[in-house]
Amino acid sequence: MAKKTISIIMAMLMMAGLLAGCQAEPVDSKSPDNESVVGYNVAVNSEDLPFQKFDEVVEVHIGQSVSATDTLPQGKSVDNNQYTDYLLENYNIKVICDWTAASGNDYEQKVALCIASNTLPDGMAVTRQYMLKAAKSDQLYDIKDLFSQYASPQIKSVMDSTNGRAYEDVTFNDKQVAIPAVEVETGGVQVLNVRQDWLDEYNLKAPETLEDIEKIAQVFLEKKPAGDETIAIAGPDKNGKPYSDFLDAGTTTCGFDLAFSANDAYPGFWLTDESGEVTYGSLSQSTRDTVELMANWYKKGYIDLEMGTRDSTIELINSGAVGMYFGAWWMSGYGTGDAYRNNPDANWQSYPIYTSDKKWNVKMGSTTTGYTIMNKNASEDQVKAMIIMSNALLRDESTFDVSEQPLVFWPIRNLMAPADECEYTYNELIKVLNGETKPEDYAKELSAYKLLADDTSVVKETVPGYEKGKQLTVQDFSMENFGNFQRMYSLLIGDRPYSTTPVEKKVYSAVYSQTETMESKWSNLKSMEEEVMMKIITGKSDISEFDSFVQKWKAEGGDDITKEVKEIM
Amino acid sequence: MRQSKRKSRTMLSYHIMISAGMLWLIFFNIVPMFGIVMAFQDFNPGLGFLHSKFVGLGNFEYLFSMSDSRRVIANTFIIAVSKLILNVVVPLTFALLLNEVGNLKFKKAVQTVVYLPHFLSWVILASVLLQIFSLKGSINGLLSVFGIEGKIWFSEDVYFRNLVIGSDVWKEFGFNAVIYLAALTGISPELYEAAAIDGCGKLKSIWHITLPGIAGTVVLLSVLGLGNVLNAGFDQVFNLYSPLVYSTGDILDTWVFRMGLVDVQFSLATTAGLFKSVISFILVVTSYLVAYKVADYKVF
Repeated sequence: MAKKTISIIMAMLMMAGLLAGCQAEPVDSKSPDNESVVGYNVAVNSEDLPFQKFDEVVEVHIGQSVSATDTLPQGKSVDNNQYTDYLLENYNIKVICDWTAASGNDYEQKVALCIASNTLPDGMAVTRQYMLKAAKSDQLYDIKDLFSQYASPQIKSVMDSTNGRAYEDVTFNDKQVAIPAVEVETGGVQVLNVRQDWLDEYNLKAPETLEDIEKIAQVFLEKKPAGDETIAIAGPDKNGKPYSDFLDAGTTTCGFDLAFSANDAYPGFWLTDESGEVTYGSLSQSTRDTVELMANWYKKGYIDLEMGTRDSTIELINSGAVGMYFGAWWMSGYGTGDAYRNNPDANWQSYPIYTSDKKWNVKMGSTTTGYTIMNKNASEDQVKAMIIMSNALLRDESTFDVSEQPLVFWPIRNLMAPADECEYTYNELIKVLNGETKPEDYAKELSAYKLLADDTSVVKETVPGYEKGKQLTVQDFSMENFGNFQRMYSLLIGDRPYSTTPVEKKVYSAVYSQTETMESKWSNLKSMEEEVMMKIITGKSDISEFDSFVQKWKAEGGDDITKEVKEIM
Repeated sequence: MRQSKRKSRTMLSYHIMISAGMLWLIFFNIVPMFGIVMAFQDFNPGLGFLHSKFVGLGNFEYLFSMSDSRRVIANTFIIAVSKLILNVVVPLTFALLLNEVGNLKFKKAVQTVVYLPHFLSWVILASVLLQIFSLKGSINGLLSVFGIEGKIWFSEDVYFRNLVIGSDVWKEFGFNAVIYLAALTGISPELYEAAAIDGCGKLKSIWHITLPGIAGTVVLLSVLGLGNVLNAGFDQVFNLYSPLVYSTGDILDTWVFRMGLVDVQFSLATTAGLFKSVISFILVVTSYLVAYKVADYKVF
């Protein structure tokens, strides 16, 4: 009998434990005592607002993406590190991380689930389509007024440097629903990176047109400078795409955007001609011609035969097997650092590719590439806190020691860079190298070019081999401080084309967001497009498939969408 | 009187113990069922289930009007059915063969080795397979001896489905064979002795004794597998496929994943999921009925 009683009690205890477990679920806990905080002091000068310290601690719940490769020292965590300490100490902002997810697909899935279940944390950084979805579902805080009061002059000057595009991108129905991450303009621009040391070995000139690329590829393939593994032109890997599109408009890594624009083709973008007619760039004759050319290159073995299935093209480039690839300005430095660790003589140089009549057409990315969104139900103070966080990041980014605690651990990091930051920096760096200006000249300046003072102070020691009038090579750089090396290489080599070469035509997409019909039909059309293009380039389908794709695309909603885009214009 | 009171006391403690499991079932499987209402709505997460606009069968209409969906359903069906059949035939054959092996050490060793892949997750196994079947992989190395041109096997739509089916069978046959081996030990050795005295050879005794002896198990397992006919294996396909093989490799689950989580079309993804669940439900019910009729196996 007693046994029975005990077993019943045990069972009940188990139950109680279970229920308690349920209760401990993180019910979004905005403790009421900091709801009512502050209401800023009247005595506070309005100029101090962007960096005001709250009277009491304001808790901000966030979702944070963490990189699989960056780590924090022992004892530190995503909500306990030098950045969160700094925020707490200087502004009384306490960051609480509700969840973390590995950056990339995992993080995006988590964001999608948060939107679907309407459980957004107070703030998180998301990509465009998720911001659009959340904005359309009316889940976001209208930060318009608070932003105009609390955003720092630095932030505002960055926003203004985009001619209003940055505001446009985050405004829906007259509400400002996010703080945009403003990308440098060159971030959407593709250049060709080529192994100059290989070119020199075979007495080849730097490529200027698609024909030049073809000739060089042919030589690389014959001579095999990296042995049997040699790949003349790298292609996108299994996570990559052959070209960027209007929804994901930062340029591709190892895609072929530059090759397309050298044929005056802009696949993935909505184009408007002089008469105001709207077309989708992927359907044009020039796109067809370029796809055919790519297929031809693939067939001849110029392009990596494993494009589209390879795990990581970057690893391939780092291994030293690749002769040429297309990429953004940062690829030659930040993107492929290991290439120089493996082979300090790998002399990667970046060039533009011109049309047959020697013009450089540039397919431009969208101005903003990421968005800090805030939950509609967040308190006013929490929203202020998040605006202050992005002010602080822009002002103080260069003051942190990032060697042990990388900047990716800044809570909801929001990039802010003036559109011309790289080009401006390039020109100032060259001035310093030429001795026209001194690093000290930049020391006191507090401008939106937040890293300029730092950059100018290290440029001389990082590029000891600089000679005026001579093209920099990898041997001219010192890799002692590898972080500085990567930055200087990206700026002085990778961004050299966009800083110094006049652009004939900058092509923007007519829209960078989804229309009504797109919301239901776009993913179908997009996967159809991806599949067809990849299959044609890799020779699994004939080029004639392109024409049936165009028909099918139009029939399955493409025509309706084109009409809608035209109406918006 | 006393007896029955005692009995209900006993039952009570059992019920309390099982209630934990029941709660789990209710919270994680029954309650979320309300989510299927999304399939009939233009779901807006800001408004929730209660206030989103109802669109009737609009999502279903759109789902079936898409050229993708027919292809996806066909792929799912072909892959799943092939797996279902081969996952019975291959392990069964293997178990029969292994059962005839006399050397006990060898038998155990083989059994252990073949069921090892079962414990590897597809995330890991997929990258191993992709490597082996890549352009510079060992398969192409082997084939080049016979003068066959190298291919990236997993990006050829002609081969993708067969590779998916084949690799799944390879991964699981060792583990599936365990059940059949267990069933085989249940057959009385006397039967074999008697057959041997009557002059039966190996093949004949397999045909007349072994197979009838485990027929019940075979039927039962294959019938219960019917409920999985639309589960073609998300983990596996997701880790192996690429846009190049969508035409033969895209299955309902991967498609729903892309619709729902990548392209945030929650309603459409739910619609496809619901469609799958309804078909699966019908198949599960049928399979249990058949299992009861044929193998006399009752779940409830």
